[in-house]
Amino acid sequence: MLRHTMLFTGYELGVLRRNLAWPIIGIMQPILYLLLFAPLLTSIAPNGSLSEALVMFTPAALVMIALFGSMFAGFGMINETRNGVLERLAVSQAWRPAIILGRVVKDMIMLVLQSLLVLGVAALMGLRISLTAMGLMLLLMAVTGLFSANLSYGLALAVRDENGMSQIVQFFLLPLMLLSGLMLPMSLAPEWMQTVAKFNPLYYAVEAGRAMFVDDFTHSTVPVAFGLFLVLGVLTLTWSVRSLRKLAG
Amino acid sequence: MIIEAHGLRKTFVAKRGRGKTEEVEAVRGIDLSVDEGEIFACLGPNGAGKTTTVRMLATFTAPTSGTARVAGFDVVKEAAKVRENIGYVGQGGGVDDNAPGRVSLVMAGRIAGLSRAQAAARADELMASFSLAEIADRPVKTLSGGQKRRFSLAIGLVNRPPLVFLDEPTTGLDPQNRANLWDEIRALRDAGTSVLLTTHYLDEADALCDRLVIVDHGKIVAEGTPEKLKKEVSGDVVTLRLDDLEGARKLLAAQPYITETQVEGESLRAYLDDGEHNLPTLLRALEAGNLAIRSIALDRATLDDVFLKHTGRSLRDAA
Repeated sequence: MLRHTMLFTGYELGVLRRNLAWPIIGIMQPILYLLLFAPLLTSIAPNGSLSEALVMFTPAALVMIALFGSMFAGFGMINETRNGVLERLAVSQAWRPAIILGRVVKDMIMLVLQSLLVLGVAALMGLRISLTAMGLMLLLMAVTGLFSANLSYGLALAVRDENGMSQIVQFFLLPLMLLSGLMLPMSLAPEWMQTVAKFNPLYYAVEAGRAMFVDDFTHSTVPVAFGLFLVLGVLTLTWSVRSLRKLAG
Repeated sequence: MIIEAHGLRKTFVAKRGRGKTEEVEAVRGIDLSVDEGEIFACLGPNGAGKTTTVRMLATFTAPTSGTARVAGFDVVKEAAKVRENIGYVGQGGGVDDNAPGRVSLVMAGRIAGLSRAQAAARADELMASFSLAEIADRPVKTLSGGQKRRFSLAIGLVNRPPLVFLDEPTTGLDPQNRANLWDEIRALRDAGTSVLLTTHYLDEADALCDRLVIVDHGKIVAEGTPEKLKKEVSGDVVTLRLDDLEGARKLLAAQPYITETQVEGESLRAYLDDGEHNLPTLLRALEAGNLAIRSIALDRATLDDVFLKHTGRSLRDAA
């Protein structure tokens, strides 16, 4: 089981290594947000400094990679439902969940590496956080990736159509983004929006990141975020493996 | 027996518009037995249920009812054991476009339980026998259709299976690549591998397979060796085009040397033995009946005539 998952992860990382341009382009968006949006937040940061604004915005930029990167991870799999790759793997000796899980682990590794790069840029701009905060933030990114990549693969296998999938992802992306306090903290929002945000899992990721960046590891959103994404990760994995089985009709 | 199937059925539930569903009977009771070391073909038009049958035997699709044992194991209860003993090359080919062929081959070997070194050695071996070594490190998306097909075949054989399923292996290939693939499939059989392939090409089933079944609308309509099946219809066939099809059919059916007549579209097919000698007699009979012939052709009967006899349609039109 573990062997097959690692095999698929290694294989997928190889595919990525041969096409390095794509993940590098993928990371430009959060970096541009850091460079061109975070400075705008200095006016609402507690003491009006850029480093305070970065504490507020860097966790959001990281969650953004999880959203915009991993949510689209499933696109590649749609083609594999047609060209027979998944069909062949399904009747091979591969442990079936490994076909999905191997890819998800690849996405998690990529997400953590991209997060490191974004954190590096933020540090150059003046972000100062503790090593514990950084380590925990990367771990949070990994579990966020577990959820969003699994969701994306499940969606790809259920929809099996590039156009349909991009419409669905876009449809959910905007409200999820705005209701997570990703751009501006939810504390600036009217009460009804704050209530709605509590049903958005990404809200907890962003808030937990902000709390951890100021070394507040016991903030209520921290355990909620970790627990929530682990549970959602397992649920979406089960769903996507089931969708894989349904390919056979 | 490497494959034994009894009463295989598969019914799909297809969505038809809003909330409406329709049951589609893709396979409606198929019995099959394939011997070790033979090339066995499922011949039939598109949509006959060939692919669904192969997918059930290869454990991809679970049958709605019926049972099948492949390599001695039940396809439902012992699916994992079946998978160890088969190679499967689907219609899509199943080769990853994003990786070089060698990488895909090694990966397939690793999934089948080989160590890194074993998988690399097995990949080299297969690439040598399918003349793929030169293009092994090029991305698969840059390869031609024939080259891709050889890679999918190599991937299907990575675990040295005693049985390999080939779903429409030569569809879309040019005649040269098709002939090469036939040779490779024969070489497989000569090495002791059993092959079950599907095809809608008559000449392919005729030239390549030891035994075949003809499938139509999810059912087997005929079974046997190509020779035996062709013997069911007489050796030769005269194809006629004329205005009064029905009149000519009645007239010819009454002739002692004609074994069977079939109207197919705008032409009439009359089956007979020893066509070269009987053709003049046939022409005289038509003349005596005042039937004007627009065109006439004499051919050897093919598997298409077998298909026509059992279904009343030509395989060429059935698709």
